[in-house]
Amino acid sequence: MLNELMTALHAVATIQNFLIIAAGIWGGVIIGAIPGMTGTMAVTLALPFTFYMDPVPSILLLVALYKGSTYGGSVSAILIKTPGTASAACTALDGYPLAQQGKAGKALNMALYSSVVGDFISNISLIFLAAPLALLALKVGPPEYFMLMVFALTTVAGVSGNSLLMGFVSACLGLLLATAGEDMYGSFRFAFTDDMQAGLSVAPVLIGLFALPELIKLIVFRNPPKARMMEIGDDRVSGREFRSVAKSLFRGSFIGVLLGAIPGIGPSAAAFFSYGSAQRASPRAANFGKGEIEGVAASESANNGACGATMIPLLALGVPGDVITGVMLGAFMIQGLTPGPLLFETNIHEVYMLFIGMLLSSVLLLFAGKFTMRIFTTIAKIPPTLLSPVVLLLCLFGIYAIGNSMFDVVVLLALGVVGFGMFLLDIPTAPFLIAFILGPMIEENLRRALATSRGDPTVLISSPITWIFAALILFVIALTARREIGKANQRKADAK
Amino acid sequence: MTSIALRGLGIALFFGIVLGVLIPGYVPKPAFIPGFALPPDFWPRVIAIAGLLFSLIAAGLGFAGQGTPVLPSEVADDDTPKRVLLFRFGALVAALIAFVLLTDVIGFLGAAMLLTGAAIMLTGERRLLAWGAGLALILPVGLYVFFTEALGTQFPPGLLFN
Repeated sequence: MLNELMTALHAVATIQNFLIIAAGIWGGVIIGAIPGMTGTMAVTLALPFTFYMDPVPSILLLVALYKGSTYGGSVSAILIKTPGTASAACTALDGYPLAQQGKAGKALNMALYSSVVGDFISNISLIFLAAPLALLALKVGPPEYFMLMVFALTTVAGVSGNSLLMGFVSACLGLLLATAGEDMYGSFRFAFTDDMQAGLSVAPVLIGLFALPELIKLIVFRNPPKARMMEIGDDRVSGREFRSVAKSLFRGSFIGVLLGAIPGIGPSAAAFFSYGSAQRASPRAANFGKGEIEGVAASESANNGACGATMIPLLALGVPGDVITGVMLGAFMIQGLTPGPLLFETNIHEVYMLFIGMLLSSVLLLFAGKFTMRIFTTIAKIPPTLLSPVVLLLCLFGIYAIGNSMFDVVVLLALGVVGFGMFLLDIPTAPFLIAFILGPMIEENLRRALATSRGDPTVLISSPITWIFAALILFVIALTARREIGKANQRKADAK
Repeated sequence: MTSIALRGLGIALFFGIVLGVLIPGYVPKPAFIPGFALPPDFWPRVIAIAGLLFSLIAAGLGFAGQGTPVLPSEVADDDTPKRVLLFRFGALVAALIAFVLLTDVIGFLGAAMLLTGAAIMLTGERRLLAWGAGLALILPVGLYVFFTEALGTQFPPGLLFN
């Protein structure tokens, strides 16, 4: 392994790769810092440009954008109490009060250090866990894979949006859309036009679903985020302060790794979980929510700690853990690489190059955050009324360039309108996208499992691994249902 | 009838159409399927039946007074008259359709310029109109040059410029 890592280090250590990762980190931090712009949007907008790059630099660019935007989300959370990403919501709880006390710079620096530590630990975990998991995955068959992907879909449906049922409906819509085009035995399904015989491409579907609805919301409701911008102020984090939060910081990093590695959980849940455990364990628990720097460290170490870990199921099993890794799966496919256990046999050199590039991106994140801090107050002032049409333009040109097809542009625009409709109906879009990406793999594994068992459906629960996934699926459903019933009872009590 | 029940019924209707009309009409069945291979319509049917069940349960919960509120807070808190919101949405959809149709006539670049300008106007931006106009003219040209020169993409020139 060490030899392979050293070879990969030589291959990655080029000026071109360094510039690509730096651009990704920088771009991600800046985009994440703009209110209303999310990491998902940063990664999806960059996707068309990666089409023209080599496989490893293209994935590294997306990973760098992901990491940069996850940290960047904390900037608007601290300066204007508007989390750039959902995973930075906990950071706002203590970051904004710190900014009100004239310590925004201190909160930003702590967020940066915590993000870098969390990110680094996450990358190391990825390097050591992905390969053994991939080895294990080689020993399982189609029934186990099918159950794993159903489990991933169930967790995404459970944690996205307000209703598990609507999460499942969204997943069904995504699965249905994925059936359009030629199936694995050559039959054309839902081929309403000649263009649809090849099915719908991943890029226009996911960019349409995640980037365009924001523009439509801005046009229809015209309520861009408004908040008072705080000054940077005191920005020094002392050694004593760092040592006082070290326990929460490392705990948060490991929570991030653990929850990030489970498909469907991701950085947001990790940040909330880490924040809660830091508060319970801290001697300054009463100060949480009023400007406690430990709260910022706990939240930020966990959300960046999840970043690298979400790549574990993606690389080892081919199962994306959240929307961003779903986009990355799309990028792998565009490049002709198939994530999953076989990737570690057929493209091991590229995998190690990816690992080295990710470690390098942790270091660059520190510099990008430091050097960008003073311009954050300017970045966050860019009016969304000008920014959103720019996003639309990037989508149009990028999507056309990928396939040289106006049909893809039409799909992009149509999915934008569909995404807005789903927003109005309170149907989460994340299960739709994950289902759209996983759909062909789920069907293929189901068909193979049933073909080998001569049509006997009990094959899907015939081994200990499938039992474990079946139990986990039931557990997630029960847990989500219990949470929703609790919320409904609370609403009824509030109404009285 | 609550909005939650209506939403559930609407989605159920969609899956019902998929099951009853689209699958029989647009998923051809081969005359012979070897061994235990499943027919092409098996998986779409499974999905449509599952979607139908979930949406009917959601509708049932709505009728029983259960379920989550449908309208997101952005919509519920907005006091703009519904017809204004509908007009804005309709105008945007018209602009998107116009973009697709105009691409054949004035080309991708010209249509993109018009769409950007329309989108900026539709956001209600009036203070930074000069910036908006500049953006609508310069950025599409910049992207066009980048994609055609650096990446070799051939955008549709349109009938007028062909």
